[in-house]
Amino acid sequence: MTQRTAAKKTGKPRVAGLPYFTFRRMADGSVLLSNDAGFSAALSKADFARFSSGRLGAGEALYGELAAKGFVREMTDFESYAAACSKKNAFLGAGPGLHILVMTLRCNHKCLYCQSGALGAAGARTDMSAATARKCVDFALKSTNPGITIEFQGGEPLLNWKTLKDTALYARRRGGELNREVRLALVSNFSLMSEEKARFLVENEVSVCTSLDGPADLHNKNRIFTGGNSHADTVKWLGYFAARAAKQVPEYKTFNPSALLTVSKYSLGREKEIVDEYVRRGLADIFVRPLAPIGYARNLWPRIGYSAEEFARFYRNTLDYILELNAAGKKIKERHAVIMLEKIVNGGDPGYLDMRCPCGAAVGQVAYNYNGDLYTCDEGRMVGWEGDDLFRIGNVLKDSYRKVMLAPASRACAAASNLEAQPQCSRCVYKPYCGVCPVYNYETQGSLWGDMPASGRCALSLGMFDALFGLLKKPASAGILKGWVQK
Amino acid sequence: MKPAEKTGYLFLSSEIYCEEAVRLASAVFEGRGVRAVKAAGGVRVEAAGAGAALEFCNEALNQQCRLDLGRKNFKIASLIATKALLSAAGEKAAKRG
Repeated sequence: MTQRTAAKKTGKPRVAGLPYFTFRRMADGSVLLSNDAGFSAALSKADFARFSSGRLGAGEALYGELAAKGFVREMTDFESYAAACSKKNAFLGAGPGLHILVMTLRCNHKCLYCQSGALGAAGARTDMSAATARKCVDFALKSTNPGITIEFQGGEPLLNWKTLKDTALYARRRGGELNREVRLALVSNFSLMSEEKARFLVENEVSVCTSLDGPADLHNKNRIFTGGNSHADTVKWLGYFAARAAKQVPEYKTFNPSALLTVSKYSLGREKEIVDEYVRRGLADIFVRPLAPIGYARNLWPRIGYSAEEFARFYRNTLDYILELNAAGKKIKERHAVIMLEKIVNGGDPGYLDMRCPCGAAVGQVAYNYNGDLYTCDEGRMVGWEGDDLFRIGNVLKDSYRKVMLAPASRACAAASNLEAQPQCSRCVYKPYCGVCPVYNYETQGSLWGDMPASGRCALSLGMFDALFGLLKKPASAGILKGWVQK
Repeated sequence: MKPAEKTGYLFLSSEIYCEEAVRLASAVFEGRGVRAVKAAGGVRVEAAGAGAALEFCNEALNQQCRLDLGRKNFKIASLIATKALLSAAGEKAAKRG
C-alpha cells in the first residue's frame, strides 16, 4: 500500500497519508489491518474505504485509534513505533534458548504419528551416553542466550534414566558455577515413571510435559502401548505432579505439569470430549497442535492426516467450547491462542520458535541427537532419521559452537524463514505474528522456501489466525481472550 | 489400461523468467519427469503430462517472485537474518558508516 494523498490541483482538501501496512478482507466483510510494529485494527468495509481513500475525519474516534497504532502517516509517533518493533523483535539478539537432548531413540509406545515406535524399546544402541550428554550441556551453556532450557526428549527419555539423572545434576551444577539460568524440562509418556523418579524430578526443578490426546479410547488409539494402558499412566502421573505443585515447599519450586494434544484424523469431531478430559485432569491449558506430514507421519498421511479446512474447523470449535467454559467460570486456556495473543495484544515475543521471523532453527534452538549430532530443530532431526541430513549443523564432539551457529543449514534456514523474502508472507496481514518452517516446506514441497499459496501449513495458520481475530471482534470473547494474557 | 498422457510443452519467456528462477524450479522438480530446455527467447518446459508442466511453471513463477522480492527487500531481509545469526554466534554485525 502506498501513500495516497489528494492532489492539490484537484482542489480537494489534503487528507491523511497512509504509511505501509498490510490488510486482509475477512469472511464477514470486514477488513483487518496490521503493520510491522505488530499493531492491528479491524475496520468495517465502509470505514476501510473511507480510510484508504483519505476520507476519514481527523476528529473521528477511529482516526484517533488508527493514528495511535501507526496507521496514519502524519500522526505516527516514531519513537513508540520503533520501541514496539524493538520489543517484538528482541529475540533477534538472544541466541538459542531451547536445547533438546534426545536421550534415546527408543520408545515403548508405537504412536500412529511418530517414528520412535518403529525402533521399539529393546537395545540401547541409540541411547545417549552420559559423556555425550555432558558435552551437550557444555555446548548449550555456550549459547549467547542468558537463560537456557534443556529439554529431555526421545523416544521415551525415561528409558535412559541413568543418563538423564546424571545430566540433570550436571546441568544444575554447571549452571550454578557459571551463574547461568538453566531450566530443565522433561517430555515423557510417563509409562516408566516411578515415585523415586518423580521425586527426583520435582526436587531438581525439572518441569514435566506429556501427551494427552483426549479421553482414554482416543488417546489409546493414537498412542499404542502394548505394555499397558497409556492413558491410565498419563493421567495417574499428571495427578501426582499437579498435587505436588499444589503443595509448594520452600526448598524448591514445583511446576504444574502440562500436556500436548496432537490432533489426528480420529480427533476430528471430538473437540468437546477432548477439552472436557483436560478440564477433568485439572490442566490449566490445552495446546492444540496440528499434525505435520513430516518424517514418519508423511508416509501415513492418508490414514491419519486431514485438510487445513478440517483442522481450522476443529480449532474454531475447540476455541468456542473453551470460551464457553470460561464464560461459565472454568479456567482453561488454549496455548496456541495464548502465544498469538501475547504478540497481538501485548506486542511481546512469547518465545515460540515455530512462529517467528526468522524461525528458531539454530538461532533459537538446537536438537542434540543421541550420538551428538546437532540439528537445526527437532523436526530437522526427524528428517535426518529418515536418511536425509540436510538439517544437520554439526556434532557436539567435533564442532565449535560458532561453526554450528553459522553452518550452511543454519544460514539457509534463517534466510528461507525470513518473511520479508517470502512473496506471499511479506504482504500478509498476519506477518507480524506468524512464521514459516523450512523443514515443513522441504518435506512437503521440495524446497526450503516452499510455495506459500499451496502450503498446507500456511493454510492451517491462516485458519487459526482468522478464528482468533474473528473472536477478538466480539466483545464477550475478546474480554476472555485478552484476560488470558493480561499482565 | 489408460493411454499414456500426452507430453506437455510450455514456454517460459526470458522477459519474465530469469535463468536462476528456472534453475531453482528445476532443482525442486528433480526426478519428477520435467525437463527445462533452453530455447530462443526463453525456456521450453517438457513434461510427461500437461499437469506436471503447469506445476513446474507455478514453481518457476514462485521462484521468480521470490527473487524479485529478495532484490526489493534485500536490506531489511539481510538485517534480520544477519542479526539473528551473528547474535546466536556471539558476534556483532559490523556497522556501516
